Amino acid sequence: MAKKILRINMSELSAAYEDIPEKWAKWAGRGLTSAIVSDEVEPTCHPLGPNNKLVIAPGWVSGTPAAPSSGRTSFGGKSPLTGTIKESNSGGLSSQKIAKLGLAAVILEGNPPKGKWYTLVITKDGVAFNDASDLIGKGMYEVSDILWEQYDHEPAVIGIGPVGEEKLSNAGISVNDPEGKPGRYAGRGGLGAVMGARGVKAIVVDDTGGPGVEIADEDLFKQGRKKLTDAIMQHDLTKPDGALNAYGTNVLMNIINEAGGLPTRNFSAGQFEGAADISGEKIAEMVEKRDGEGMTGHKCHPGCIIQCSNIYPDEEGKAVVSVVEYETAWTLGANLGISDLDYIADMTYQCNDLGLDTIEAGNTIAMAMEGGQIEFGDKEGARGVFDEIREMTPLGRIYGQGVEATAKAYGVHRVPTVKGQSMPAYEPRAIKGIGVTYATSTMGADHTSGYTIAPEIAGVGGDVDALEDKGKAELSLTFQAATAFVDSTGYCLFIAFPILDIESGWEGMAESVAGVTGMDISGGDVIDLGKEILKMERKFNMRAGFTAEHDRPPEFMRYEKLPPHNVVWTLTDEELDKVYAWVDGEE
Amino acid sequence: MKKLPHKRPSFMITVHVTLYGDIAHYAGGKHTVSKEVQLQEDACIKDLLRHLGVPPDERGYLFINAVLHDAPGLFASRDAVLHEGDHVGIFSTTHMWPYQYRDGIRMSETLEQALKEHGPIRNTYRLEDTDKP
Repeated sequence: MAKKILRINMSELSAAYEDIPEKWAKWAGRGLTSAIVSDEVEPTCHPLGPNNKLVIAPGWVSGTPAAPSSGRTSFGGKSPLTGTIKESNSGGLSSQKIAKLGLAAVILEGNPPKGKWYTLVITKDGVAFNDASDLIGKGMYEVSDILWEQYDHEPAVIGIGPVGEEKLSNAGISVNDPEGKPGRYAGRGGLGAVMGARGVKAIVVDDTGGPGVEIADEDLFKQGRKKLTDAIMQHDLTKPDGALNAYGTNVLMNIINEAGGLPTRNFSAGQFEGAADISGEKIAEMVEKRDGEGMTGHKCHPGCIIQCSNIYPDEEGKAVVSVVEYETAWTLGANLGISDLDYIADMTYQCNDLGLDTIEAGNTIAMAMEGGQIEFGDKEGARGVFDEIREMTPLGRIYGQGVEATAKAYGVHRVPTVKGQSMPAYEPRAIKGIGVTYATSTMGADHTSGYTIAPEIAGVGGDVDALEDKGKAELSLTFQAATAFVDSTGYCLFIAFPILDIESGWEGMAESVAGVTGMDISGGDVIDLGKEILKMERKFNMRAGFTAEHDRPPEFMRYEKLPPHNVVWTLTDEELDKVYAWVDGEE
Repeated sequence: MKKLPHKRPSFMITVHVTLYGDIAHYAGGKHTVSKEVQLQEDACIKDLLRHLGVPPDERGYLFINAVLHDAPGLFASRDAVLHEGDHVGIFSTTHMWPYQYRDGIRMSETLEQALKEHGPIRNTYRLEDTDKP
């Protein structure tokens, strides 16, 4: 059975299954969300108005039998935070279940009458529009529990917290994990507010009896799957007991700190004296010491073989939250001058429950600290920010809008944003390559926009010197293109580590996609397909009013020296403009 | 009176070392351990690793005073000379540091040369025995 597009109109409370038009036929995941948004959303529309849409799409291989670590769901729309196109993706249960229902994408459009809220229940029989008024005002932990109790077959629960209901720009979209708990977030860019603007509090997806995912070439799929699985299982970073499995993404905390690239106290220094106390190594120590429900090596979706998630325990060993990622520990820790993991875990729970992106939330608190409202290092003061948001005080509404709104409220000029979205845990003055991607990404400052692949595989190996500044534009474009492709597969982006070092893994990724879809693609086509996605996104942004002048790092990074290396941002604007000159030149 | 040969006094230096990951057990830790180490002046990284008992093959990323001196599978730091008060951070070979998160960081000239030779964009390196110093 050919896949369908499920179009849900919230003005009419109607659902229609549509054939996939030829122009979208080759896309899935990010490629598909960006194609649909590009074609159907007016770039100049208000992100919260009736003309924006929320598009949800599993990747090419999601829902296939035992494709390793392939549970990513892409969410797309026009971002209220950045004003650009946005794709934000998440683990959890939703990707495989949507795919197994035979759906390539779900499009949410229209608005119900003001004050009406719905839980959409998607099954093989169609869509039910259930009244969600009893869920309004509730946090995602309670909502996820209620819906798992209410509906059979342990469904996927996609939902928004109170911040999304209020349509604030730092609202993320939660997906539940294999234990039914929320916290797998399509966090960045405020797409939770776009879902809230559609009057949808939650989407329940039950794939029972669904048609499953057709595989065009079973042998090719199995061949690719084996190559990729072998690469993941062999590689030091992704194998069992490898870095990600043992310490999670927070394995990076001590490394980035040793390098002098850990943004500290709102990007005023590159090393934090308390880094070791909030690191992945420390989490592993706490899990062992507290000996209870805590764990490392947790998986965020069925079939993940990397298993980089964790469950952080309290002093009695009871689970507090999953997951404390590197970026979360950094933004609520080093970035605020706080070195207390128990506090960080508690604040992560607050973010998950309220429906906030953690990176933006921590950077928002840093603005209040920079502006003198709260002292750096003041845990109780930082906790008060979440109280303000939960109570939806006027100040809480400003905090819920994210970094730039809060910076304006406090008269702060050291604002670590690009295109309205705040930077994650890598200082671009010390780590220049990531700065090029932050500045030029179609998504605003985003650490997952440019995952590295080997340049020789991408065909640029002989042309660039990766150790020189002047090679960074071409590398960044290549990395952004490779990432756009991986974001379309449904595979977790962390397969990028083994497929960089093990060429058969790279082939396996492409072959598994070709096997499922029947498309004639190999490893050599990855960059070109990725560039097609970037081009759609860049053109959307151009039509929304963005120019090359928006591809710039924050001004203060050009003149404030970052200790310990006392470096400033040195790449020229001309170098940054090379990244997308191939698209900009067409207009 | 027989003149004694001039003997230069031997000085000791103290460096601060942190071991991250499973190599922490060489200094009595499990996931992380920090300690002060006294070495002869002019000691270099290979002397420090020998002092700690960390086999060179188990050493991953290595920093001296926030400057990257080595990467997993390379041996670019062994002759780097240590000085009084230096901080050395040493990671296990399983610690990841994706290239996009280290592209442009400060590194030693010796490591830069090694990366030019073996390719700057790798997560891990596996040198043939003949390439190992």
